Amino acid sequence: MAVGPRVLEAAGLPGPGRQSRLREWWEQEHVFGYGLIVPAVVLLVALVAFPFGMAIYFSLSDYWVGSPGAFVGLTNYRDILGNEVFRQTLQNSFVFTGIALSLKVVLGVWLAMLLSRNLRFKRIIRGIVLLPFVIPTALSTLAWLWMFDSLYSVVNWTAIRVHLISAPGPNWLGQAEYAMAAVIAVNVWRGLPFFAITVLAGLMAVPKEFHEAAEVDGASSWGRFWYVTLPLIKPVLGVVILFSTIFTFGDFNIVQVLTRGGPINTTHLFATLAYQVGLSGGNLGQGAAISLFIFPLLALVVFFQLRYIRKE
Amino acid sequence: MDQTAPRSIARRRFLRTAAGTTAGMASWLALHKAPAYAQKRELTFLSWNHFVPASDDELRKQAEAFGKANNCTVRVDTMAHLQMPAKIAAEAQSQSGHDMYRTAGADPFLYENLLVTVDDLVAKVGKQGGGWYSFAEQSCQTKSGWKAIPWFWVSFPGTYNMAHFKKAGFDHPPKTWDELLKQGKVLKKQGNPVGIPISHCSDAHSTYWSVAWSQGAKVLEADGKTPGIVSDKTAAVIEWYKELYKDAMEPEVLSWDDAGNNRFILSGKGSWIHNPVSPYNAALANKQPIADDINHHNSPGGPAGIHSAPPNLSMGIWKFSKNQELAKEFIAYLFQKQNFDAWIVASNAFNHPPLKNLADHPIWARNPKFAMLPKEAEYAHPRGWPAKPSEAVQRIDDNYIMTDMVAKAVNGMPTKRAMDWAQEQIALAVKGQLKVG
Repeated sequence: MAVGPRVLEAAGLPGPGRQSRLREWWEQEHVFGYGLIVPAVVLLVALVAFPFGMAIYFSLSDYWVGSPGAFVGLTNYRDILGNEVFRQTLQNSFVFTGIALSLKVVLGVWLAMLLSRNLRFKRIIRGIVLLPFVIPTALSTLAWLWMFDSLYSVVNWTAIRVHLISAPGPNWLGQAEYAMAAVIAVNVWRGLPFFAITVLAGLMAVPKEFHEAAEVDGASSWGRFWYVTLPLIKPVLGVVILFSTIFTFGDFNIVQVLTRGGPINTTHLFATLAYQVGLSGGNLGQGAAISLFIFPLLALVVFFQLRYIRKE
Repeated sequence: MDQTAPRSIARRRFLRTAAGTTAGMASWLALHKAPAYAQKRELTFLSWNHFVPASDDELRKQAEAFGKANNCTVRVDTMAHLQMPAKIAAEAQSQSGHDMYRTAGADPFLYENLLVTVDDLVAKVGKQGGGWYSFAEQSCQTKSGWKAIPWFWVSFPGTYNMAHFKKAGFDHPPKTWDELLKQGKVLKKQGNPVGIPISHCSDAHSTYWSVAWSQGAKVLEADGKTPGIVSDKTAAVIEWYKELYKDAMEPEVLSWDDAGNNRFILSGKGSWIHNPVSPYNAALANKQPIADDINHHNSPGGPAGIHSAPPNLSMGIWKFSKNQELAKEFIAYLFQKQNFDAWIVASNAFNHPPLKNLADHPIWARNPKFAMLPKEAEYAHPRGWPAKPSEAVQRIDDNYIMTDMVAKAVNGMPTKRAMDWAQEQIALAVKGQLKVG
């Protein structure tokens, strides 16, 4: 039990030094507890809250690079909505995220099911599957850039050789639909391991008895997946979809390296357009407005999804 | 316990030392000053990854020599040119970074308030060099003085494969854009299309301005504020692009970056591109046999004459730099005749001097494939012409408005609608300029 300074004084013993008093103060539960979370709070404020606040401030002002501007309210948001390139970007972002996310969910669960089987070299295979997620995106996308090159595309070369397509093959990065398909393909390739490994963790937690019981009851493999596995991995799947929605909407590297938003702005996403307008073009106000435009919608998605997951 | 005593002392000593070090480092950071023993002036220069890498090697060599002679260090950092605008914007915004950087186009207007006025340096160097080319001068001279010093420009000739032209029965390369269209149709049928990028890259701009001016079209009126894109002449330019795209090029031009056309001609497939001499230099450096077939000719013309929009590079010094005088000395050093000459040689005629007296280097006369390059200066204008360079012009380029207008048209958008779209985007770029001004 700690002995306070008054007790020591009453006992005629010398009082504690400054250091002991400091230690005593520090060891109080409410001080110590808050003290422990201070570094995390400082980091969050400095690295998340402050830049976020600045971005909101920029988006509401007529701010150009190196030239602070006045408060203009929602003018930047109104201006970008009136701009055809932004409207195109809005459409691109939903198409990109919708298709990429759907593919990642379906393929991710499928891959996770495959990986959960008792395969030989299971650990090595799982490690290899993670590679696309581990390699720096800018670097791996450069390899894809070569694979989609108009002259030296290995994708086209292979497809022509196996008579899947006729020469010269699609111009992957030069035509709107193909370019969108290319950026989606690379995004799926890169994001799939995250889905697969996380869902795999969820699958591992599903008790085998449930499957055995379903099997005894005569459930088909599809029935076992639909009525046993899927409901049990729903919470994990919900979290992964939540994260992936945010990451996919905010993708930058893949589009910037492969198409820089082209051809004719048909692959621009919020991040790449914000970069072009805010940094290359110097209009920080509009750049910030573009990057924050989707924030309220994403916040709603996060809110409802988290509520749903909690209920589950 | 005895055993713990020394450990506790060591820990205290460690804590004391660490605290002292931290305090010392904090004071350096607070004072923005290195400790006395480490003080040596360091000048930092941000430039691009040159298309002829030997040119960067020579620049670094000269930087080192200057450093030795002036008891300082000059650090030259280079990066991909398409990433430079964002990096420069970040330095401008944070008011920190390199002391000086390679500006491009109308950058000095975009950062007019943040760059040091270099009138004194320009006067000194310009006088020694016999005066500046007008297009280079206009790119740096703002209302508040010279905000950068012209460094070099890059001629933008036609680059063609002589063997393909000969095979198609042409005894000369195109003198006009219309002739290019006619020849291109034949060349494409032969399996050797021509190529002009219609994509998000700088070469696409350079060619658009050239074609548009040759047709008599403009983007902005001379006042620099009124969009002037909607006209019969621009419509003719777009129609020309549509026909060229359909009958003389392949869709890959829609996906090219700045190296796309280089790869195209070096692959042996392409017959003609509008580009500096870098593919030829690369073929020579790599001992590719195709170097023998590649040749150059002056940029084609049109009803309004021959016009060219060569990439125009300059050097600007940030106002936040603590080494402004040292930067000026370094720039003056780069312009010393023997240094500039060495730099031209290292680039194998890619770097053209903006000073008239330095343009007489024998490298152009010595090689018949380069002989016509200096003449390109006579056709050159800064982008935006007849408007003066401005931040609006820079923004028009940075946002790829002209390129996207053409791309929309070749992909099926009616010409009038594509022009209206560009007009709207140009008005937005100008509006930005008016806000800042």
